[in-house]
Order: sequence, then C-alpha cells, then structure tokens
Amino acid sequence: MRSLLFLNIILLLLLSACDPVKKSTLSLSQENQYKAPTWSSPFLKGFEKALFRTSLDVADKHLTGISIIKRTSDSSFHFTFSNEIGLTYFDMELYRNGFRPDYIFDPINKKSFLKILQSDFALLLFSESEGKPTRRYVQKGSGDAVYMYLGMHIYAFMDIKHNNLTGLAGWSNYFDAVLVRFEDYESGFPKEVQILNPKIKMVLTFTFLGG
Amino acid sequence: MKHIKKIFLLAVLLCLYCSLHAQSKPLSPADAMDVRKRISESAKTTASLEARFTQIKELSVIKEKIISKGVFYFKKEKLLRWEYTDPFPYLIIFNCDRIFVKDEDKENHISLQSNKVFREVNNILVGAVQGTLMADTKNFECTITDLRDEYQASMIPVNLKIKETLSEIILYFSKSDYTVDKLVMREVSGDYTHIEFSEKKINQNISDAKFTIP
Repeated sequence: MRSLLFLNIILLLLLSACDPVKKSTLSLSQENQYKAPTWSSPFLKGFEKALFRTSLDVADKHLTGISIIKRTSDSSFHFTFSNEIGLTYFDMELYRNGFRPDYIFDPINKKSFLKILQSDFALLLFSESEGKPTRRYVQKGSGDAVYMYLGMHIYAFMDIKHNNLTGLAGWSNYFDAVLVRFEDYESGFPKEVQILNPKIKMVLTFTFLGG
Repeated sequence: MKHIKKIFLLAVLLCLYCSLHAQSKPLSPADAMDVRKRISESAKTTASLEARFTQIKELSVIKEKIISKGVFYFKKEKLLRWEYTDPFPYLIIFNCDRIFVKDEDKENHISLQSNKVFREVNNILVGAVQGTLMADTKNFECTITDLRDEYQASMIPVNLKIKETLSEIILYFSKSDYTVDKLVMREVSGDYTHIEFSEKKINQNISDAKFTIP
C-alpha cells in the first residue's frame, strides 16, 4: 500500500515535470458547467498548402529559409524546408504517428531530434478536440480559455471572443514537451506559428507568405 | 503501300532524332578545351558583374515550385552579394572568408572556415561566375555540351562531401560573351534549384560598400 502511494507520488511528480504549461500563468475557472469546446488545428479544416518564411534555432544552429506544408491525404502532410539559395534541410512526409524522411540535412539528422520534431508536427497538424476537457483554466493576461485534456496530454488555448485556437501544449515525455502558438489570424489562418521546445531549447517559427 | 508508309514514318522520326541529337551533343575533348579557354578568357576580363536573378526551386515529391527574385553582384576576386527581394527581403554577402546574412532585423556573421555548406556554396557560385569551376577536377567531373544558343557544362561531384548534398551542377554559358546565363543545382533528394541571370551588366562600377560586412 505504501509502495503504491510512493509510486503515485513519483508518477505525479514526473507528470508535472513533463507538463510544458506553467500553472502560475493560469487560474482555475470557477465555472463548473461549461460546454465542451470544439476546435481543430488550423491545418486541418480546408487547408491545402501554404508557403512560409521559416527559421529554426536549435542547439548552436540557426537555419533560415522557406518552407512548404502541403496536405497530401486525409492522414498526411508533406513538409519541405530549404535555405534561401535553395538547398534542402528537411523533406519529409508527416503522419499522426510517424514520418517518412525523404531527405534530412546531415548535421541535423539525429534520431532523437527527429523524434521530437515528429511529435511537434503531430501536435501542430493533427490536433483536434476529442471528448470533454478534464479542467478549464483562464490564462492570466490574455484572458484566453485553456482546456486541459489530461488523457490526451494536451492543453488547448482558445480566444473565445473570436473562436480562434491561439495555442496548444502537449507532451509524451520530459524531452518532447512542446508549446505551439498561433498568432495574427487572417481569414481563419494564423500569419505566425511558433513551436517551442523548452527542454531542448528549440524554436521553429513559420511566417505565412501565401497559399 | 502500308510498308512504304511505315518506312517513311520511321525515316522522318530518325531524321528528327538525329537533328535533335546533333543540337545537343557533348563536345570533343579538343572543342571542350577551346570552350573552356574562351570561358576562362571571358572570366579574366570580367572584373564585376551585376544582374537580376530568378531562382526556382523545384520540389520533386510534391510537384511544387518556390520562386525567389533579386539582384546579384560580383566583384573580383571573391566578393558576392545576393540581394533577395521576393518573396521577402534577404541579404547574403560573401566577402573572402566571411559571410554576412541579414534576415529582416536579424544579422548573422558566419565564418566560411567553420561552415562547410556555405563554403561549398561560395566556391560553386564564385567558380560559376569566374568559370573556374570547370577546371576543378579535384571536386567535379565536367562534360561540355553544345546546345543551340549556349554551352552547357555538366559538373558531376566526385568529392564525397559535395556528393552528400548535390548530384549535379549544370552551368549554361552564353555563346555571345561566354558569361554564365543559368545555374542548376540538382540535389540528391531529386529537388533542383534553377537560377537564371538577366539584365547582366559587365564591368560596370560597383561600389565596395555593397560588399562591406558591418
């Protein structure tokens, strides 16, 4: 019995260590009754393809250039990122639970890094509301509603007034805890998307250039 | 009668094939040497070059194109300035062994000694403009082909490091002044980047300030 309690405490500590959202930035909503929100990644509904100015900062590397994200089927996207002169950094097909690398620039072709990148893209591209949230918070400052789905390991940040998804947070382990920000919506699509992996200090920024 | 028609059709197709083949045949070693010499002589007299460029990146898997445009400046010996205007402003200056990149308000200094990719890109670009790339037998195997309006130099990397990224570089030289008109970089992924120069201004004064790294 004591060992079970100990195990639970360890599990709780591990979960809170992985959680990418700082609870001090949130206040628990007083509303007990609320309608389960419906939301989905801006890349899911009606999205075909988009061109982005892109930058990636990870470890000591700063890569910039242009990327394309293109929907290739109901369950896949293609991501290509190359520098301004045209040399490819990434060329990969992305699925909800995996990816197929067509080409990866050698200095960043590291298995552990690509695994984290894949889970980041899974959150960015395939997330949508499923079931009722476990908790509802309010983000201090922005006033956005924050829905926590404990079973899915996801937080969804919503601008209720404009019915826009402003952020996502997710994790499956300590290293892949990730925050995604969607900013400056225009015609239902964000002009800026940022992926932050605080644990490995990675920032991937997409600035929308055109469809 | 049917047989005569078939033979006639075959003859027409054969003539068409021969005519097309004749327009794009690899040069004999002697002719290739002559073209190299002319390109090298043209490069020797080119102290500066300014041109507009259109860059098209062809993505083979998803059949998409990324088009960028801008202005290119070259000054002897190893000064290059790529000023992208579309789809967004971006600046790269190659000044001897240093690179300066300006991306919106972010400025980045890169040493050519520490960045192998930029070093190779710089060597390729300078070599393409100066015509010295074709003489680089340590890194490339070169075949020159006579096309209707230009000479095509196909450069196959033999250097393992370059081979990891590029499968072929193709340079197109104008038959009128032997300066580079187009540059195609084929990547191992199957993608390729096509850079076409236009409105070329040769040996016009370009201020050194264009290549100054702050």
